[in-house]
Parts: sequence; structure tokens; C-alpha cells
Amino acid sequence: MLEQIKQWIERRRGGRSAGLDSENLPNPKTPGDQLLSDSRLIVLDLETTGLNAAKDEVIAIGAVAIRGGVIHLNDQFDLILRRPELDITETVLIHGIGHEALTQGHETEDALLYLLDWMNGDPVLAYHSAFDQKFLEKTLRSQLGYTTSHTWMDVADLLPAFFPEAKTGGKGLDHWADYFGLEVSARHNAAADALATAELTLIALNLARKEGLRTLKELHDKLHYHRRLQNMHRF
Amino acid sequence: MAAANQDSSRPHNTRAIMTFLREHAPFSSMDDNHLAHFAEHATLRFYADGDEVISPDDGVVKRFYIVKQGRIRGERHNEKEDRTDTTFEISQGECFPLAALIGERPTRTLHRASGDTFCLSIEQDAFITLFSESDPFRDFCLRGVSSLLDQVNQRIQSSAMASIGSSNTLDTPLERYALRNPIVCSPDLPVRKAVARMHDNSVGSIIVTDDNRHPAGIFTLRDLRTMIAEEKGPLDTPIRQVMTKDPCCLPSHADAFEAAMLMAEHHFAHLCVVDDENRLIGVVSERDLFALQRVDLVNLARTIGTATHLRTLISLRTDVSRLVDAMLAHGADSGQVVKIITTLNDVTVRRVLELNIKKNDPGVPFTWLTFGSEGRQEQTLLTDQDNGILFQTPEGMTEDQVREKLLPFAQTVNQELAECGFTLCKGNIMASNPKLCLSDREWDDWFIRFIDASTPQNLVYSSIFLDMRAVFGPTEPLHRLLDKVLSRIRKNALFQKMLAGNAFQRKPPLTMFRNFRYVSDGNKHALDLKRQGLAPFVESVRVFALANGVESANTLERMDELAKKGIFDPKDANAWKEGYSLIQAIRMRSHQEMLNRGEELTNYINPDDLNPLDRRILRESFRQAQRLQQKLEVTYQL
Repeated sequence: MLEQIKQWIERRRGGRSAGLDSENLPNPKTPGDQLLSDSRLIVLDLETTGLNAAKDEVIAIGAVAIRGGVIHLNDQFDLILRRPELDITETVLIHGIGHEALTQGHETEDALLYLLDWMNGDPVLAYHSAFDQKFLEKTLRSQLGYTTSHTWMDVADLLPAFFPEAKTGGKGLDHWADYFGLEVSARHNAAADALATAELTLIALNLARKEGLRTLKELHDKLHYHRRLQNMHRF
Repeated sequence: MAAANQDSSRPHNTRAIMTFLREHAPFSSMDDNHLAHFAEHATLRFYADGDEVISPDDGVVKRFYIVKQGRIRGERHNEKEDRTDTTFEISQGECFPLAALIGERPTRTLHRASGDTFCLSIEQDAFITLFSESDPFRDFCLRGVSSLLDQVNQRIQSSAMASIGSSNTLDTPLERYALRNPIVCSPDLPVRKAVARMHDNSVGSIIVTDDNRHPAGIFTLRDLRTMIAEEKGPLDTPIRQVMTKDPCCLPSHADAFEAAMLMAEHHFAHLCVVDDENRLIGVVSERDLFALQRVDLVNLARTIGTATHLRTLISLRTDVSRLVDAMLAHGADSGQVVKIITTLNDVTVRRVLELNIKKNDPGVPFTWLTFGSEGRQEQTLLTDQDNGILFQTPEGMTEDQVREKLLPFAQTVNQELAECGFTLCKGNIMASNPKLCLSDREWDDWFIRFIDASTPQNLVYSSIFLDMRAVFGPTEPLHRLLDKVLSRIRKNALFQKMLAGNAFQRKPPLTMFRNFRYVSDGNKHALDLKRQGLAPFVESVRVFALANGVESANTLERMDELAKKGIFDPKDANAWKEGYSLIQAIRMRSHQEMLNRGEELTNYINPDDLNPLDRRILRESFRQAQRLQQKLEVTYQL
């Protein structure tokens, strides 16, 4: 990863005089008539120092890309950010990331620029995506002054939308992973959780195809509809 | 943990995939760089239960898959019966479709997900990179699935080899061993001159040939010794008068194993190698075959066959076990080894009988029968006696009078065989049992009752009495008896169906989920390789063999015959033979290990003690047994 980022920075610096500003970054795409079978989807997971977006910080970012309904392992993002000044004692036990690993991270700005470039403006999926979206947008804003929103979709909504009858025994990523018998290589590792989330996404997309959903918009609408239905039940 | 600290140049998920790959062949023997190349170029794909993964209609195969989770089944349409057959199953860690990918052609089998399934896959270019750079990967792909079987055999051989230290294998064609330009002479040459010729060439044998170079006889130093010791004639005698006539011959494409078996059976040390027109082209000696071996088959068979005391026979049994080690080391497969054990057991049984006749001749000719595994020539080191006597009542005697003479004799023989290591049969299926020491007429009546008035209870005995062979005495009476028995079974559809139902009871030890089903009593996590593994094959094959007039009692030979008669599809027959042989091989290796540890021999193994490869092989072999039983089920509408 380190090598990739170095090469990327050199390419950017050498190739274009514009330098490392946010002007040249790809624009986020809105869900339209792009075919699901052609689209690239980002599946992302963050590890943070805590649950409070107002005061906690991002430690690690893991993400994989789905293209044509397939996870491409040569198209992934796995990075621990450099945050040595943070107090991490609270969550260090959950994530397994200690001080040493954190200090070996990378210059945050470089990493975030690279992430945005890699994401290419494609829709982002995450499990309980509101959490990841809040943290990522906050970090992008404070570090890069980047305020453009990506399209986010919540895999925690996607799964019950397609498998309403599934008795998972709970709503967590673990519950669904167990339900489909997935083996997660290391829970609470951003990259491993991102891959598990992506695998669950593949399962949902497989069914989506069989139910005749063809475009990104149709998928987005189905989620939206499911969410409204859930909210109606709540009241 | 601090995952980032270890090898942080590779993303976590790449490392996780490498860890997964390392647990499976051939990846377990591949370099990390090659595994990383695989992981970095892989895609992860999902198939819901029933989804097509690759189909013959997809055209030339362009990618290589490995099952990460779930299962793939191969489907082929059976046009004769218009249904879909599952031809194979690919489970976690297994690769596909090798043959089609290497052959750059479409797959011939529809690959379908069986349960929700994830596969890792690489494109052709990544496959080619690995194929050209990684030796273990290339070997694996080229040999395809059969390389797994080879690996098992190689492991069996290498562990046995460790105690021997030789690299000859018994599959080697005989011509490789045979001495070219053998020393020959004409039948009229005086012995003196023939011996001089042998001396000049420092060889121990000379072949006597006629004008057409056909072997007419053989004369060895041993013959010379006997000739002089027994004063058979002067040294000017023409050699044809003292040579052994009609020497044993094998064609040059026969392998060393056949030669060794022939030598062991007849106790001689030289064989002529001939071409298609029976012209002599070489001689192979026992010493050529077993140059580096401490224990040799022929010598052992001869020593057993000429032992003069029971004591000697008993002491020779440990040599039999050492020989089995040696045979495994020389590349004999399990089918060959069980035949060797059976041959040596036969020699022992014959010698015990001969010694007893010499001591105390019952005075009535008889045929000594063996039943069950010995009848099938499938004995291992752990063996029971199952035997009986077939006699023809001499004129002026009643059958009971004959029995009065034979039973005490049989009693002694059974006891002495027990001392030689053939455990007494708990069910008293032994020649000393008056019910199993019968005349030809009585045996015939016995089988009529057995077949025509069969009850589910006495079907238990089918595995014993329907696998029958003569070990000693005239074979013609047994042949006549078998003829009648077989034609009776062929005509009796009800008996066949009962037999099939009985065979169907023995289920291979796999659960619905393809895990091992352990024996229910006592020993947890144990599989009984004989009762759960081999028996389903043996019993099912017996039904087909008897119903179709196959006379052989040996399971592998029966399968060959059934394939020849078109009852079994040749491909199925091969798969079943292979499955059966592999279970047998694993069983024999475990016997040798128990013996080396000084433990009592059992047929139980704990699959957890096996390496993952053997476990897979065992599982696949059991699955083949299930397929064979399915055929039984369909044929007899069970």
C-alpha cells in the first residue's frame, strides 16, 4: 500500500502541475441508469477511536471494490492512518491496533487524497453506513476541506430488504456473516470487515439480479423504499 | 495482533487469502510469492445454490477457480435414462476445471453451485504465469485430480521406503530387468558342456531352446545339485533328460510384479521373457527383481512351502509382515499387496495341510475351501480363518463315515493355523465344524436351502459363502458346485433382490453434509475402514457379480468382469476400483503402523489423525461407494 501511494503521489506530482489539491479529484456519481452489472461499487469499513463523531478519530480505512458483481482483489484499499497524538486506550482492545502501528501510518492528507482518487466518485457501501459516512466526511472536511458528498448505501438495510425472512438473531454484521456461514479473517480489522461486508453485498446483488433489478437507481430506490417501510413500522 | 506490523507491504485481505490457500494442495507446497500473485490477481465470486458456474455452452474455459466456501457439483446428462447425474463434487480448497483449462476447450460438465458458494478465481494470464513459474502448481495441474491419488500412493511408498532404501518399482516392465542374450543350448547338449557354458558366463541358469528359439526347458545350478545328490545320471546325459520342461514364460511387456507373483506361486527363481511369437528374448531371475531387498518374496514363499515343522511356519509370519513393508516400498499398490499376502497365506495353509497329511493322512481326498476375504484374495495382515471341506464320498462309505475321518484332521489343522496367526473364527466357520465338512451333494443341498429358502438372517452369511475358493486339493469339484450355484442365483430374482437389500444396509460413513459419520458404538471419532469403507464396495459388487454369472470372487476382478460385460460403465468401474483400492491402501498403512508400534491390529482409524489430503481422498472414496450403492438401488428398486 505504501508503495502504491508513493507511486501515485509521484505520478500526480510529475504528470500534472496542478499538484495535490482537491480540485482535480473525481466527482461523486449519482445513482442513475448505470447498469449494476457494469458499475463499480466501493465497500468500505473504518476503525475509529470511539463512537462519537464529534470527538473521535479515524484510525484505519479498509475498502474493496465490486465490479460486475465480482470482488476484485487487485482493487482494494487498506491503510492505517497516522494519528500518534490521539488517545487510543479506549478502543485499542477492540481494534487490535496499538500505538506502534499507528505511528507507522502515513501522512493523513496524502492517504485521504489517494483514497478519494481511488474511490473515483463511485457509490460507497458500508455496514451501518451512517457511522462511516459521518466519520469519513468529517475527516475529509477537516483534513482536506473536501465537502462533496458521495452516494452512500447501507448494507445493513440492503440485506433485510432482500432477505426479509432471514432469522439472523440480530442486526449486526456478525449476525449476517454467521447466517451465511462466512469466515471473517479478523473481525474489527477494517480491511477484513470491508471484505465481509462486500461478500454479503455480493449475496444481495445475486438476488437483486434474479429479481430483475438492473440499474443502480433501482437498487437505490429499493433501499429507500425499505427504509421508509421500516420507519413506518416504527411509529 | 497489530496486523499492520507483520508484512505490512501486503494488504490484510491478500494475506488472509494466502493463509486460506496454504491449507490446501497444491498451494501448500507453493512459494509465498506465487501465492501472493494468486491472491492479488484473484476475484471473489458468489453463486447462490443452484447457480451455474461454468457450462459447456460458455465456450473455451478462461479462468481457474478454487472453492473458498460451499460446494460445486458436476452435472452430466444421462441420455440413456434421461436424467441428470452428479459426476463429482468439489469442496472447499479444491480447484476446477483443470482438464478443460489446460486443454483450452470448453468444460464437458456443467458446474453448478451446491449450496451458497464463494469461489476465488484467476484469469488465464495469471494462471499461465503461475503455471510457468511454480513447479508444484504445474505438476498439480498437469496431473489433474489423479495427482492427488498419486500423492497418497507416493506417501505410502516413501514411508515404507524409509525402512528399505531402494527405488525400483514393481510396475517396471520386465524387459528392463531381463538379461538380454541369455545363455542358451540345444536339448542334446550333454550336461557337462552346458554347465561349462554356465560357468564361463558366470550365470546360474541356462535355457534349453529348440530350433525356433522357443524355450523348451531350463536347467539351473539347483537342478545340478539335485542331479548329483540323487544320482540321476552321469554328466554326459543329454540336458533334455534332466532339465525342467516347459519353463514359465512371460511376455516382455509384463511387469515385475507379475513375474514376482508367478515365481512366488511356483517357487522358482527364473522366468523366460519371450516375444509375441514365444521366442526367447531374455531371462529374469529372482535376484534381478529383488537385488537390493532384504526380504524376498520368492524365497519366503519357498521357505514356507518347504518348511518341515509348524515351528518354522510360525516364525516365518514376521517375515510376511516385513515383506509387506518391502512391497509397499517397491510401489506395489494395495491390490497387489493383498494378493501377495493371500498368496503367502495360501502357501502357509497348504504347507500346514501337507505336514498334517504326512503325519496323519485321513485317507480320503478332499478340497480345502476358503471363504470370505481369503476367498476373495483380499486378506490383510489382520485375518480370520473362514474355511471348509468339500469331499466326494468314496464308494462303500457314508458321508458321516468320511466326516469321522476328516473332522479330527481338520480340528488339528484349524488349531495349527491359529498358531500361525490365522485367528480362529468366532462364528465357527471352520472345516472342523461338521456343518461345513460336506460332500459335493451335501454342499449342493446346502446352497439350495441358502438360495431358494433364504431368510434375511442367513443373508448375513452371503459375504462368507458366496466368496469361495479352493486352496488345496482338486479344484474341479468346486468348479462344478459353483456352476450350479451361479445359475441358481441368476434365475432367482427374489434372492438377488434380498442380497441387494442386504448390501444396501451397509452405508458408507458420510453424513448428508459430506462429513464423516463415525461408528456409533464406543470409540468416538473412529471409522471402521473394513465394515464402513470396504464392505459397501464388496457387498454391492458381489450382488452384481453373482447376478451376472461372474465366477471370480475377487472384488477388483469382479468389477473388471462387470465392466467387460457392460454391466458397469468402464469409467464408473475405474472410479470404484480406485476408491476401493485407496481405502484398502490407507487401511494397510495403518496396519503396518500399528504393527510397528506393537499394537493389536484393528480396522479403526481416526480421520483426525490423517492429513487433509488423505481425508479428502477418503471422503471421495466413500462418495464413490455411495454412487455404487445408488446403482444398486436403481437396479433393484430398493
